[in-house]
Amino acid sequence: MIEASRVSVAYGHTPILFDVTARFTPRRLTALVGPNGCGKSTLLKAIMDFVPLTGGTITLDGEEIRSIGRRKLARRVAYLPQESHCPDYMTLGELVELAGFARYSLFGGPSAKDRELFHDALDIVGLAGMAHRQVNRLSGGQRQRAFIAMILAQDAEIVLMDEPVNHLDMKYQYATLDLIGNLTRNRGKTVVTVLHDLNLTTAFADDVVMMRDGRIVASGSVRETVTQDTVAQVFDLDADIFERDGRLVCLPGAKGRETIAA
Amino acid sequence: MTRRVVFLGAATLLLVVAFLAQLSIGAITVPMGNVFAAFWSFDPQNYEHNVVLYQRLPRALIAVYVGALMACGGTVLQGLTRNPLAAPSTLGINAGAAAFVVGGIHLLDLGLAAQGAAALAGAVLGFLVCVAVARFAGLSRDPRGLSLILSGALVSMLLVGIANAFLLADPSRRTDLLSWMSGNINHVYADRLTSFWWIGVLSLFVLAVLARPLTLMSLGPEQAASAGVDVKRVTRLSLAAVMLGSGSAVAICGPVAFVGLVVPHLVRPFVGQGQIAGLPACALAGASACLVADLAARQAFQPYVLNTGILLDLVGGLAFFVIVKRYYLGTAERTG
Repeated sequence: MIEASRVSVAYGHTPILFDVTARFTPRRLTALVGPNGCGKSTLLKAIMDFVPLTGGTITLDGEEIRSIGRRKLARRVAYLPQESHCPDYMTLGELVELAGFARYSLFGGPSAKDRELFHDALDIVGLAGMAHRQVNRLSGGQRQRAFIAMILAQDAEIVLMDEPVNHLDMKYQYATLDLIGNLTRNRGKTVVTVLHDLNLTTAFADDVVMMRDGRIVASGSVRETVTQDTVAQVFDLDADIFERDGRLVCLPGAKGRETIAA
Repeated sequence: MTRRVVFLGAATLLLVVAFLAQLSIGAITVPMGNVFAAFWSFDPQNYEHNVVLYQRLPRALIAVYVGALMACGGTVLQGLTRNPLAAPSTLGINAGAAAFVVGGIHLLDLGLAAQGAAALAGAVLGFLVCVAVARFAGLSRDPRGLSLILSGALVSMLLVGIANAFLLADPSRRTDLLSWMSGNINHVYADRLTSFWWIGVLSLFVLAVLARPLTLMSLGPEQAASAGVDVKRVTRLSLAAVMLGSGSAVAICGPVAFVGLVVPHLVRPFVGQGQIAGLPACALAGASACLVADLAARQAFQPYVLNTGILLDLVGGLAFFVIVKRYYLGTAERTG
């Protein structure tokens, strides 16, 4: 289990995270939610040891993340950045093969078991039979699924994703989050993902961590966390929260519109 | 996969043919039988044997060394910086070597062997200054390495300016130095190859070991680190290997600019982005390009012999134009 304890992070002299304490429950999909610049992405980067902590600790099953070597960490935790780049001419097959790097020996390559895993990863994201296609020639939705396939091929039990449905249309947003949700339900993975849309969050997440100005405002299950009070506190929005077909729906009210118009 | 294997096979064949042609063709044409005889049963009294072994073989080996090291350096730098303009010539390596050699001759009257060492030191320093300026300009916040390319241009201008100042101050050596400065693959530099070959071999070995993490680095440092790459260590090791490898190549025969910039772009459509196939493909193609260019420089304009570096610059410039138009602007048009 990943635990952040009193974590603080600053970029130069600008503090980003203050005293953040959070636990991410295994085999659940946790959404990090909050306004732009509240520190969601920084929290993921801090977990990956991409940014130095100015205070606190982050542990993986009790072991401090920054003392774990990159290869060992990669076998446990996979990370999908907000903007994924792929150089020209790289094929989908090459991309997923690279994901297994942490398991290869210095001069070795993928084993038969690894190749089976790569095939499964492409199959799960619906890109089977497209291994020879160049990643940069795929459509936006296919490209995002290609990077999710890369994460699957890494075969880590914990997956961190920074806005995985950004730039996707509504259909692909639902399809991609359905896919990510299945990772926890069917494959026992722990997923922590940054999401912007509260309705997507209530539809797919098990737990929610709501953040504002570098601090955690509320955390817990979707029903405990997403309330009129927390939405007002985090987003300055007067929103109606109601239940429809067994799930919470968030409908911003007049106050939100006035605030934005002002 | 098939395309990759075919390309590697074709590039190997081209290298062998160009190497043998380099040994056989010249002011006098040595029949192939006599070329082989120069190796198997060398006769010191035989003029052709001497030409093959002491003039053409060193020249061919220098061309292979320079082509392979520069092209591999180019592909690694382009992958690391994720910038298609990165190459030893655009990141201060060539200009640093030139400034140190010309300055060293003018100030310290360096001999041929010491010139090679000065060139290597200048290449290393030129690159380090380029990286230092780029870091000062905000390299860490620049995902496409533009600050590195701009600081490379700045540092190169400065160093070439210094070299030119020394050249203008010393008319007696100007002709010799101008020839080296425009990239001169020549058997007179065989001693430098004997001194520096191990640096190139070591550099290529290090890059080969790092081939897979280097491929991952072309996805960006965070993605590479997420997959298990120790980004800092791989960056430092590979930059040191490129800096010393291409520095030693410049030290031997002067700045051969376009091989490092253009060959990786020519190779990539055939072998893809992966460095496991990319590095050997670049080494083979770069070596072949230098051999063919050197042969053309010697034979095409007889009785005059053109500097190989000048011919490579001319052909490389045209090739680069075609690459930019076809693969970069073309891709943008297709996807835009």
